Amino acid sequence: METTRRTFLIGLTTLPLAGCGLGGQQQGGGAVTGEIKGEITFQTWALKPKYTDYVNGVVEAFQKQHPGTTVKWVDQPADGYLQKVMADASAGSLPDVINVPPDLSFPLAKKGQLVNLDEALKEAKGDYLENAWTAFEIPGKGGCYGFPWYLNTGPIFYNKALFQQAGLDPNKPPTTFQELEQQAVQLAQRTKVPMLAQTPTIVDFALYGVKLLSDNGESFVFNEPKGVEFLETAKRMYDAGAFVPEALTQNYTGAGAKFMAQQTALQPGSAYDLGKFKTDAPSLYANIGIAKPITNTGHAAMFLHGVSVPSSSKNKPTALAFGRFVTNAENQLKFAKLATIFPSTKGSMNDPYFTTEDGTDEARVRVAAAKQLGDAVNYTPVQFSSQMQETLRQQVADVMLGKKPAKQALDETVAECNRLLK
Amino acid sequence: MTHRPYTPWLFLLPGLAVVLMFTMFPFLNMIVLAFTDADALGGGQFTGVDNFLRMTQDPKFWTAVRNSFLYLCGVVPPLVLLPLLLAMLVRRKVPGITFFRTAFFTPVIASAVVVGLIWTWLLDSRGLVNNVVETLGGTPIPFLTDSTLLLISAMLVTVWKGLGYYMIIYLAALANVPNDLHEAAQVDGAGPVRRFFSVTVPALRPTMVLVAALSAVNGFRVFAEIYLLSGGSGGPGGASTTLVMLIQQTGTGLTGEVGYASALSLILFIVTLGLLLITLRLNRKEDAL
Repeated sequence: METTRRTFLIGLTTLPLAGCGLGGQQQGGGAVTGEIKGEITFQTWALKPKYTDYVNGVVEAFQKQHPGTTVKWVDQPADGYLQKVMADASAGSLPDVINVPPDLSFPLAKKGQLVNLDEALKEAKGDYLENAWTAFEIPGKGGCYGFPWYLNTGPIFYNKALFQQAGLDPNKPPTTFQELEQQAVQLAQRTKVPMLAQTPTIVDFALYGVKLLSDNGESFVFNEPKGVEFLETAKRMYDAGAFVPEALTQNYTGAGAKFMAQQTALQPGSAYDLGKFKTDAPSLYANIGIAKPITNTGHAAMFLHGVSVPSSSKNKPTALAFGRFVTNAENQLKFAKLATIFPSTKGSMNDPYFTTEDGTDEARVRVAAAKQLGDAVNYTPVQFSSQMQETLRQQVADVMLGKKPAKQALDETVAECNRLLK
Repeated sequence: MTHRPYTPWLFLLPGLAVVLMFTMFPFLNMIVLAFTDADALGGGQFTGVDNFLRMTQDPKFWTAVRNSFLYLCGVVPPLVLLPLLLAMLVRRKVPGITFFRTAFFTPVIASAVVVGLIWTWLLDSRGLVNNVVETLGGTPIPFLTDSTLLLISAMLVTVWKGLGYYMIIYLAALANVPNDLHEAAQVDGAGPVRRFFSVTVPALRPTMVLVAALSAVNGFRVFAEIYLLSGGSGGPGGASTTLVMLIQQTGTGLTGEVGYASALSLILFIVTLGLLLITLRLNRKEDAL
C-alpha cells in the first residue's frame, strides 16, 4: 500500500512537470506556394457587431473568387484580446489569419511565430504604402510580418471656450511645443484648467524629435539630450498646473474622458473621436477646435492595424491569399467608408472621399488626416512593450513629482527597456 | 461484496481531476518557471536562483513588499474590530434590522470592478468628495494621485467591501456565545462595556483569529482595489504597487517575464503560507489555554 501511495504521489508531481515550463517554438520562413483551397480561420479584433455585414461580405467574396475555400471568421472582444493571442501562441494554435497591430506582431515574429511576407509573398509589398509596410518590419533586421490594414492619424482637438476664458486666441491653437508650453501655462494661471491629461508617452518623445532607437534597432537611446530637454519642458508644465493630477497614472482612455468632460483643454485624437464628441459630448462639440498635430519632425504620428499569418498555419497559401485579399485596395476602401479609418493601400487615398470636403467637420478632418498620412510615421517602436510603457510612465511620474531629475529618470528607463529588449 | 482499495479514488476522481488540472498543475508549473527565464511565448532556460537574486536588487520588488505589508497592517485591525461592532449592532431584534443587515452585506456581493469604479468617481480630483471639499472652501485632496493617500483610499475600499462578510462570520459566532454567561456577569454588576471585554471578546477570540487570518491573507494579496483606483498604474511612479500588482505587471502580455513573475508568485505563496501558519499557531495556543 505504501508503495502504491508513493507511486501515486510521484506520478502526481511529475505529471504536471512533464508538460510544463520549458516549451518549444516554431520557426517559419521561405516562399510559400500551393493551391488556394480548404478551410482557414480569420480572427479579428472587436469588429462584431458593428462591421459584421462588411466582414461577412469580404469572406463571401473571397470564397467566390476561390471556390473550394472556407473562411471561418471569429471575432474576439477588445478586452482580453492580448490574452487570447498569448494563450493561442503558447499553445501553437493561433488562427490562420490574425488581426494584430505592429507592437503585437513583434514578439510573435521574434519567436518565429509569424510568416515573413518579404520571403513568402514578396510581390505584395508594392500594393501598400511604404510607411505602412515598414511599420510591420523589425527595425534593423528587416522582414515584414503583417499585411498593413487600416491606418489612423489625427489632428489635435482643443476646447475653444476654455481658450477664450484664458484670454487665448481660440483660432490660434499651439503649433509648436514652445507655444504649447506658453499657452498651457497661461491657461492654468488664468482658469486653473489644465491643458493636458496625459504625461509624455514614447510617441510624444518621437514627435519632439527625440531619437528613440539606435540605427540597428538593438537598443533604445531616448535618454539623449533632446529627450532630457523634452522631459524638463513637461516638468515645467506640470509645475505650472498644465496637467491634471491624474496624468501621472492616466492611460489614453482616461485622458480622453477628461477632455470630453471639459476638464482639460487639448487632446490629440483621430477622425473617429470627432464622431464620439458629437454624440457623447455635444456641449464640447459646439466649442471644438481642430488643429494640425504638434510635431518637430514634420511628420504626424500614425497608428495602424494589420493582419498576420502565423507560421503554425496548416494552410498558408490560403491564409496568405486571404490576408492579402482582406487588405486589398477595394476592400480597404469599402471599410474606410464604413468606419472612420484610412486605407493602407497605394492610391486608395486618391479617392474623392479622402480628397473632397463637403463643408462638414468630419470631412475636413478626414481630408486633412488623409493628406497627413502620406508621410506619417508609426512612431511607436514595435519593440516598445507594455512593460516598457509602464516603466516610462512611472519614471516620468517621478520626474513630475520632483523625485528625480529628468536625465536620471531617462537613463533608468532606457537601461530597463534595453534589459527587457534582450 | 469485496472492498477494492481503489474504489474511494474512483469517487474522488472527478474532483481530483479538476484540482490537478486547475490548481496543482499551474502551481507546480509556477514553481518550475520560477527558476527559469521563460517568457509569455514559452521557451526559457534554467537560471537557478537568478530570479531571486534579481529580486533583492529590484527596488520595485521592495516597494511592492513594503506596500503589501502596509496594506496588511492597515486593513486587519479595522476588519477584525468593525465587523464585530457591526454584528453586535445588527443582531438586535428591532423592526427593519434585516434591511440594515442586507445593506451592510451588499458591498460583499458587488463586483470588485463596479466598486472600484464607484470609488474612483468619488475620490477623483474632480470627484464628488473633492467637490464637497472645494465647496466648503478647502483644496482638493489628492486621494488617487498621492501614493500614500492612494494606499489609504484602497484600504478604505477593502474595509468597506469586507465589513459585511466578516460581520456574517461574527453573527454566527455571537449566536454561540452562551447567554447565561452574560446574565451571570450582569448579576455580578458588569456593565455593557465590561461584558463586551470580559464575556464577548474571550468567547469570540478564535473567530477573531480566523477573521484576522482571512483579512491578512486577503490584504496581502490585494489587487483589484489598487489596480482600479490607480488606473492600472500602481500609483504615481508605481509607488503604490503591491506584490500581486507587480506580478501582473511583470508577467502579463506577449512580452511578459513569466519566469520572474513566477518567482515573485512563489514569494507571495511563501508569505501567505507563513501568515496562515502563524494563525494556526495562535489558534493552538488558544486551544491550549
